[in-house]
Amino acid sequence: MSATNEPELLPPESVAAIGTVSEHVYVVTARDIRRYAQAVGDPNPLYYDEEYARASRHGTIVAPPLFCHALAFEDVPAESLRADGLPAELDVPLPTTRAVGGASTFEVGALVRPGDVITVHKVIEDIYRRSGRSGDLIFVVLGTTFTNQNGEVVARERATFVNR
Amino acid sequence: MTSSAELSWEQLVPGDPMRELVKVPTPMQLFMFSAVTWNRHLIHYNTEFARADGLKHVAVHRALIGGMLAQMISEWIGDDGAIQSLEWSVRGSAEVNRPLKLVGHVTGKRQVDDDLLVDCDVRAEDEQGNVIAPGTLRG
Repeated sequence: MSATNEPELLPPESVAAIGTVSEHVYVVTARDIRRYAQAVGDPNPLYYDEEYARASRHGTIVAPPLFCHALAFEDVPAESLRADGLPAELDVPLPTTRAVGGASTFEVGALVRPGDVITVHKVIEDIYRRSGRSGDLIFVVLGTTFTNQNGEVVARERATFVNR
Repeated sequence: MTSSAELSWEQLVPGDPMRELVKVPTPMQLFMFSAVTWNRHLIHYNTEFARADGLKHVAVHRALIGGMLAQMISEWIGDDGAIQSLEWSVRGSAEVNRPLKLVGHVTGKRQVDDDLLVDCDVRAEDEQGNVIAPGTLRG
């Protein structure tokens, strides 16, 4: 993919954004897990019921496999977002105005538990341009690594966002 | 994954269907998902903005479709199983208040040390069978 980010196809400020790194840390609560599971609409008691979870092989409440999506974006104030509310992590200088989510590769490590302290490390891995049916599209690839307090990677995602 | 009462790794063969799950994403659900992920992009809760972007209604999040696929997979493999990796790609627009079917089938299985693994093709599709998001599972 990276072979396609030919400099003449992208403004220099866009190319310069490749490699941008940011990081934040969140402490996970049982409430975070419960709210994520409710938002997905997943009724598995492993995510809600301490007694049920204690009898499981996990021994405690755990988070759904893709829970780290709830930790991916930093709590920046609304004033610092673009007018359309695009997450700050995706607000890179591009000659486009619209962005939508495209694709994802999500690897799951140890399941997240209440009390985990998760470091969220983000890097703009790539930006490239492709011609599509509705004109040129610019793809932003965001790589995110979620690591717990024991240094274990609990999740890793490579997500591609489509801009036009 | 390991064998459970409902699903036996030993008996799985390529082509076996996964247990499907039908969900109906609602505007409230999208709002909840935006809130819980602190994703404030208007396309997920402002209909006027979404329509100006060519959509019929607000957009179902890429990450929510992934979460729904993960729910379907988790219910199929049971509490003793685990997802190793899930890949999905949003190719069409999932519509709010319309059923979204999460389906898949086994493409292969492997044993690595003590881990009993299964590979699957998965997808989210609309009522007409249009593929909204194809994907693959390693679990």
